[in-house]
Amino acid sequence: MDREPAAGICAEDIIHYQDLARQYAKKSITPIFEGEYSDGNLSLLPEKLKTAFDIGIAATPDKTHSGCQYGIWGGATDETGLLPSILLLSIIAETCGGVAMCLHSQGVASNLLIQAKKELPFTPVMAALCLQEGFAPPYLGTIVSPDKDVPARVDTTAVKNKSGYIINGRKSFVYSMNGADAYVVFARMDNVWGCFLVPASESNVSANDVGVRTGLRACRVEHVDFNSVEIPQDARIDGGEAREMVIRAMNLNWTGMSAVAVGIAKGACASARRYAAERYQGGSQIEEHPAVKMLIGGAESATAAAEAALYSLPNGDLGSFKNLKKSAAVKLSVMELCSRAVTDCLQIFGGYGYMEDYGMEKRLRDVTVLKSASGSSAYLKQLIFDIGKEGAL
Amino acid sequence: MKQSMEERIEQLKLKNATQKMNIFGRLLVDNREMSLWEHDTKTLSWGVRRWRRKALKFAREYIRPLAIQADLHPHDYDPKPILAAAARQGFQTLMLTPPLGTASTLQYYKGTAFQMAVVGEEFATECGGLALLLLAHNLGMAPILLSGSVRNILRQMIPFYLKSHLLGRPDCMAFAITEPGAGSDVEETEGGAKAKLVTTAKYAPEKKGYILNGRKCFISDGAIADKVTVYAKIGDEGIESWTCFLVEKGMPGFSVGRSERKMGQRAADASELIFDNVFVPNKNIVGKLRSGWANNRNVLNYSRPVVGSMALGHGRGAFERCLEFCRKTYLGPKRLIEYQDVQIELADMAISLWAARSMIWQSCRQFRCYQSGSASAKVFASDTAFKVCNQAMELMGDCGYLHEHGVERAWRDSRLTQIYEGTNQINRLALFEHHLSTDFCM
Repeated sequence: MDREPAAGICAEDIIHYQDLARQYAKKSITPIFEGEYSDGNLSLLPEKLKTAFDIGIAATPDKTHSGCQYGIWGGATDETGLLPSILLLSIIAETCGGVAMCLHSQGVASNLLIQAKKELPFTPVMAALCLQEGFAPPYLGTIVSPDKDVPARVDTTAVKNKSGYIINGRKSFVYSMNGADAYVVFARMDNVWGCFLVPASESNVSANDVGVRTGLRACRVEHVDFNSVEIPQDARIDGGEAREMVIRAMNLNWTGMSAVAVGIAKGACASARRYAAERYQGGSQIEEHPAVKMLIGGAESATAAAEAALYSLPNGDLGSFKNLKKSAAVKLSVMELCSRAVTDCLQIFGGYGYMEDYGMEKRLRDVTVLKSASGSSAYLKQLIFDIGKEGAL
Repeated sequence: MKQSMEERIEQLKLKNATQKMNIFGRLLVDNREMSLWEHDTKTLSWGVRRWRRKALKFAREYIRPLAIQADLHPHDYDPKPILAAAARQGFQTLMLTPPLGTASTLQYYKGTAFQMAVVGEEFATECGGLALLLLAHNLGMAPILLSGSVRNILRQMIPFYLKSHLLGRPDCMAFAITEPGAGSDVEETEGGAKAKLVTTAKYAPEKKGYILNGRKCFISDGAIADKVTVYAKIGDEGIESWTCFLVEKGMPGFSVGRSERKMGQRAADASELIFDNVFVPNKNIVGKLRSGWANNRNVLNYSRPVVGSMALGHGRGAFERCLEFCRKTYLGPKRLIEYQDVQIELADMAISLWAARSMIWQSCRQFRCYQSGSASAKVFASDTAFKVCNQAMELMGDCGYLHEHGVERAWRDSRLTQIYEGTNQINRLALFEHHLSTDFCM
């Protein structure tokens, strides 16, 4: 039976979260974009991310930080619902999708550690989620049976020995802030999932940057290899079967990514409106041209539809297939709507939209990465269908 | 003996099932095994077919090895060797037939832009930026050829042909219409009438020429061009007075300003050109005085199918690299290409590209390119290419946005084709305008 939905938050709390995100975006993120940097001056990023911990936006399992409970995907998510984190992420993403993605990926990994409600062998401040292998997240068959090729089994394994576990395997496309202290690793134990906390400093753990990529460049993305990594028994953070944790991780991941995409689209719409009012062409402001009105109107309606879909996500059991199906459907439609909105907004700028000056090309790059990352449309469609099949729900 | 399902499926394939037909029936079935590319090439006449094969070879030999670095570090590579190689092979003189050019003569008179469009697709398949670097030169030369001035054509084309095709030391040309305050305006009639233009030519009778002042922006190959065809209004007159001037590198007062930092097509520069009291002699006026607006619009009619073909090339590049990824990548025990949903998506991409190619080829299969045909081909091909690039990226999941696979580069490159040579919105209006007195009369 589904858990009771979370009570939600009051209007004052919503305003508080919005103010917090706007202040952070204005005071910390906007300065990154001063000067000629297409993705911002990324050397300033560590300092700005530290501020996110200080003001409690960034979640962390470390209880000495205020974000542990009320940061993005912090421990209070089940109690307050999805809305606070969605608000924070989308408002920050209006200024920079990459920074929002940093905070989101930190939040998802932290949430899993906090929800485990176990005494951890050590408490990392920065954590990253290691779930995906290859070019896509696990398909339904793999979530249900990690040991079977339906269509692909999990190759990362955890084997129990006398002192703890030995982990072997390779995880792909691990998103994190500027370097993680620990990885939350999902691995196969015979025919079930296990979830483990692995220190990044371990000598047999090696992380390699994925190389040049299209967007979200504020975020670090790595492939992480685990080569006979020995960890103690108490580093296993699930209660004997981690499938619900896998679903929770995917659920939060897609919800947060959808929130980031909505933020990017809203930022693009606002920029396009401003530009259309300032730019003269043919003797009048371009906002007077019907073609421009059509593009902006279409982009704003697509963004509003995406936002509505995002807010329709139910609170409640994040580890259920029912909610996973909904978040997959939301990611699928939100990404489609938002990328269309951003590309239409870029068109308003003509040649200037394609240049780095107005930041529109960055928005398009960022939203396009979100569309393909951690589950592209083909993958999501298949998962949505498969979950609907008998037995999964 | 009972057959397995695999054997039955194999026998049911058209190629095998044909064996049960009589000889005349068999003759009517086309069972030739050849690639999509080869099928299309076979439909072309001999001269164009030759250029298509030659361009494919050149693109793989010269463009492919340079593509990744030229995109990542556009300021660290020397464009001259590839320009020279293209010139030696005749790609930079395709705008005319022998004795002044290299285009296949018979086919040229059946479709002036056709050979260029075929070459454009092949180049852009490997790299959008390098394709633009090589092809923008032809755009710079088009105003001279389309001016109808035999004097201009002979004066410019004879030395160019000698230097380019015979010596392999080509001059590079650029085409300059866009101004900081007038982008789309100079590509559309109504906008043109209201445009606020800054580049002005003032007659200097004592010097027998014109003094040019003003700025142009986003000029492809602007930083490396030896000669630029620049459009300027005369004195205080409007765009009706637009005249095309040939400005040469080294003319006092002519300089290159900022080079733009672009999302894609990065191997070719997009630069600002500054004219500060540049004296241009009368002999450098291209065509008649005040004929620039018509000349500009007609240049766009000839260039838009080529831009469409470049977009098609970006889409094809993304498709081919995605296909390679699907062949090599395993999902469980099977390769991606073995999954039916992947096959459907790949087929859909191929169909879209085929449709775009058919439209481009159709649009420039006559001696004179016409406004609605060219605009439609450009819009359809660029929108299709962007869609196909997105499909390719999504099919590859997280690998799609990695630079190393080359698909995201094609995606970035393709987005510009929806903007330059008139945004796709402007091009739609061009179609409407062309048939205002016929199909769209009010």
